[in-house]
Amino acid sequence: MDLETISARLSALQEAGLAAIAGATDPEGLETVQVAYLGRKGELKTLLGGIGALPAEDRPHVGAIGNRVREALEAALDARRLELDAAALDARLAREAVDVTLPGRPFRRGSLHPLIETNREIARVFGQFGFVVYEGPEVETDVRNFQALNIPPDHPARDLWDTLYTDMPGYLLRTHTSPGQIHVMQQAAPPIRALLPGRCFRYEAVDASHGFEFFQVEGLMVDEGTTMADLRGLLDAFAHAMFGGGRPTRFRPGYYPFTEPSVAFDVQCVICDGAGCPSCKRTGWMTILGAGMVHPVVLRNGGLDPERYQGFAFGMGTDRIAILRYGIDDIRMFIENDLRFLEQF
Amino acid sequence: MRVPLSWLREYVDVDLPPEALADRLTLLGMEVQGIERRGADWQRIVVGELLSVEPHPGSDHLLVTTVRTGPSEPLLTILTGASNVAAGQRVPVAVPGAVLPGGRRIEVTRMVGRESQGMLCSGDELGLTTDADGILILPSEAPVGAAMADVYGDVVLDVDVKPNRGDALSLLGLAREVAAATGARVRWPEIVLSESGELAADRLTVEVADERLCPRFVARRVDGLAIGPSPLLVQARLTAAGMRPVSNVVDASNYVMLELGKPIHTFDAAAIEGGRIIVRLARPGERLETLDHVERELSPDTLLIADPRGPLGLAGVMGGAASEVSDGTTAIVIESAVFDPVSIRRTAHRYALRSEASLRFEKGQETRLARIGADRVAQLVAAWSGGRVAPGRIDTAPEEPAPTRLPFRPSRVVRLLGAPIETGEMRALLARVEIETTTARQGDEVPIAAGMPGIVLDAASAGEALVAVIPTHRRDLEIEADVAEEIARVRGYDRIPGRLPETPMPVYRPDPRRAVDAIRDTLAGRGLDEVVTHALIGPADHERLGIPTEDPATIRVTNPLSVDHSQLRRSLLPGLTRVLVENERQRREDLALFEVGHVHERAGGEPREHSMLGVLLAGDQAGAAWNQPPRPADLWDVRGLVDSLCARLGIEVRHAVRAPSIAPYEHPGRTAVLQIGGPEGRAVELGRAFEPHPRYLESIGARATHVAVALLSLEALQEALRPSHRYVPFPRVPAVERDLAIVIGERQSAGEVERVVREAAAPLLRGLRLFDLYDGAPLAPGERSLAFRLTLQAADRTMTDDEIDAAVGKVVDALAGRLGARIRS
Repeated sequence: MDLETISARLSALQEAGLAAIAGATDPEGLETVQVAYLGRKGELKTLLGGIGALPAEDRPHVGAIGNRVREALEAALDARRLELDAAALDARLAREAVDVTLPGRPFRRGSLHPLIETNREIARVFGQFGFVVYEGPEVETDVRNFQALNIPPDHPARDLWDTLYTDMPGYLLRTHTSPGQIHVMQQAAPPIRALLPGRCFRYEAVDASHGFEFFQVEGLMVDEGTTMADLRGLLDAFAHAMFGGGRPTRFRPGYYPFTEPSVAFDVQCVICDGAGCPSCKRTGWMTILGAGMVHPVVLRNGGLDPERYQGFAFGMGTDRIAILRYGIDDIRMFIENDLRFLEQF
Repeated sequence: MRVPLSWLREYVDVDLPPEALADRLTLLGMEVQGIERRGADWQRIVVGELLSVEPHPGSDHLLVTTVRTGPSEPLLTILTGASNVAAGQRVPVAVPGAVLPGGRRIEVTRMVGRESQGMLCSGDELGLTTDADGILILPSEAPVGAAMADVYGDVVLDVDVKPNRGDALSLLGLAREVAAATGARVRWPEIVLSESGELAADRLTVEVADERLCPRFVARRVDGLAIGPSPLLVQARLTAAGMRPVSNVVDASNYVMLELGKPIHTFDAAAIEGGRIIVRLARPGERLETLDHVERELSPDTLLIADPRGPLGLAGVMGGAASEVSDGTTAIVIESAVFDPVSIRRTAHRYALRSEASLRFEKGQETRLARIGADRVAQLVAAWSGGRVAPGRIDTAPEEPAPTRLPFRPSRVVRLLGAPIETGEMRALLARVEIETTTARQGDEVPIAAGMPGIVLDAASAGEALVAVIPTHRRDLEIEADVAEEIARVRGYDRIPGRLPETPMPVYRPDPRRAVDAIRDTLAGRGLDEVVTHALIGPADHERLGIPTEDPATIRVTNPLSVDHSQLRRSLLPGLTRVLVENERQRREDLALFEVGHVHERAGGEPREHSMLGVLLAGDQAGAAWNQPPRPADLWDVRGLVDSLCARLGIEVRHAVRAPSIAPYEHPGRTAVLQIGGPEGRAVELGRAFEPHPRYLESIGARATHVAVALLSLEALQEALRPSHRYVPFPRVPAVERDLAIVIGERQSAGEVERVVREAAAPLLRGLRLFDLYDGAPLAPGERSLAFRLTLQAADRTMTDDEIDAAVGKVVDALAGRLGARIRS
């Protein structure tokens, strides 16, 4: 064999190899082509095996041609491999296509009860002004629920609270969170800024706006100089936080045996914005809480000198605040726990 | 208190429209809760004059009347079934097209062959009086043709008088408040008596056994009277004020009660034996038939009005039937007394007889009203019934107390209110509620609180102080703070400026709700819905838990609204399962709920309450969907939930052990006691996780068959919370994993295996996970294979194979030695 012949054969091998590579349609086919042309017993090896028959001066020349052929085939193999891989991946992805409009895998939503969340929100607002949370018992003594709050036995003001009594003499179900005032004054020294959320009980027939169990939040602030003006300022700040800044508020006389002076605090009706509607009995106002300056007898019963210390207390119905915030028209929703209700919170 | 404005105007001028007046009263502390326009629903009802009244030819009970309703109106022929009409009378006429209260329309109708062009109205049909028996006969001066609403319409304010203001439970009292608001003057009714005949004292005596219970008793006698209806105006006023007109005598006492706030009782004088009235406590065994015709056994602390024969009435609460003023009464005795408020309140409560009278007595009475009220009733009875007032009163305590002096410091008022009010303004404001002020003297005592010594003024402080002279009707003003309220009230609370506090802040206090809120947030984040259920549940709820109705540890309510809410819950379970059942009715059967709340018990004579967390899972917990099968709730759901909650809080659930004893509501084979690490390494019981017993679910009417519950002590959780949270460095060296399939017998539990592995592999063990559980061939019956993956890691170095093998060997040896477990290879 001469140089010319071998060159021509190499050239033909390259042509044939490239064609075979291009013709391979999957990685396995490509592998077969690679073995056939470039393997240890492949055509290129076989062809170059005949190089010994050439004159010595031709051998490097043929070797160089052989390397070029090898390189060309290897480059073509690599390129073809990438092409086939990409095509295979494309094909797989095409097979994996789904209807993306199908719904996702469900997760439970979860919800927090609006009454408890309202308590938390109230605590958050007053917390900004330094109020801290205390807790008191649901089963209270008559002494703390009434007598220490300046409501002796047989006092006409007891009519303000229809009480549920227990079979434990001297104990009743607290009718309000106000006995917490005594608990706080007995365990903390002024300056006091306290909040007491809790469940309360009254002998009250159930309807859309009453229940025999309900939640209240009590507030107490006592030091040497807290005035009714401070009460007003804080209640205004609270009302604006809960019901929107700029909503008008009203401060008017109320009556509680444990505050003097006593206050009823109104906000402009959140339903009709003051125009007058059935919800506000056409007055344009809604009473959201009762308050007042802590009665000197209560300060004394809490162990404080009423000549030195003064302050205010307030009590609000969590249910009422929640009703106004969420636009609920029946407080029975709170305790019925219908999922259709709970899931909205 | 219902206040007809036409009546109120007798005592004070009112120029304001009703809404404006209502606002002013509300801002003064007399909250107006409603405004009723009486007559607003009388449409086309006019004053008519009966020109003729003749029998209906075709009926023996109908009358045919001819009615004139104005000079230029055509005459109307109107049929009526009432028999009290006569020609010449003026009556309310509903002309065709009229609408009566309640929406009833009046048109031209035919009755027994005659046309009726409208209707004559009774007082009851208009709501003007309560008389439904006959046509309302109007006074002869009623203007014919005028709309009834213009003549007899009225506006009634519903005023919420607070318990401390008994003095304002009257028209006169509210007239004073109107005067304070507007600056108008109060007009007292003119009380003039013309007395004649025998002296009252000659035929009437009053003995009071206990002056503490009856500090004053004033009596008068009226003779020669004729019982009949009171004037229409009076009936209309009483009706508008919410009282039922009865007769001229009874109406007179009710009229005065509403006018002055003084409850007064009238007796038939003939029923008082020997004219001797005795005020005393009941004797054992005494009985009395009260006005409501109920025979009552009297308890010995009941204050009575009696005569020598026995009880006549319950003092201040209700009279007796035997001495009641009746149609045949010709002479009456008027009782106008002051009683001990507490005694009256107790009596009214004991016999469940709370009346307008007792409500006023229990708030305390102004002493002088006993005299004034007796005179006023005598005057009105004489005027309305033609009686003669016997000369003189019987009065057990004629001396009347003077106004009290209440020293106060204007500077303290300013300090309390936070509003700079000049002393001169304070005096002017107090004058508007009839409180005069004078200068204070050295030695005057400023009352701070009842039962506590006041502040005695020295020469310097007396110069700054004032004395409020409290009129006798204001029994509520007792201490300095009361004066402050009065000043603020009359000035207007709304004029107190709002400001934010500048006083020192309290010391920091950790929020006791923080852990609870973290738990709530975590559980809601895990997809649970928070519920709030009743703390009061029924004995049946407790019975189903195995707690007997009469269990001594249960706290019961003695006056429950219903038996279903008569006991304080010992457990959160009944509330949670009730939510389950209620939602099942709405076809919502897959639930995940939790509640944070208190449970109650009686322990050692004291009430104890415990804060608890209850979790209830029912139905599908996976959220079945097109690509996901349902997974009914079971014990492992709730166990995993509690584990993850504790992990979130930084608390390790140490152990779950099979409950040593099972409650009747728990599945005997699926109830675990959960323990966590407490202080000083002690194991603390956190609570129980269980599937409810099928019989329990059946007993509450639940349809669900797959339910899992956890009832946990929040107190235990809170106690276990780490006070400080410190970062623990984690090793940077590689960890290795080894799987062990551990075969145990019937008597061993997974919990025991886990405990042994943890103890034997410490301190190299960084993770332990049960990834497979197998029973069946080739294992022997009762054997189980637990496949655990151990993650091992040294703190400071890469472990060698020898070290790892040694550690695993230790575990295997411990399992074999302590549990007899073998390794399955």
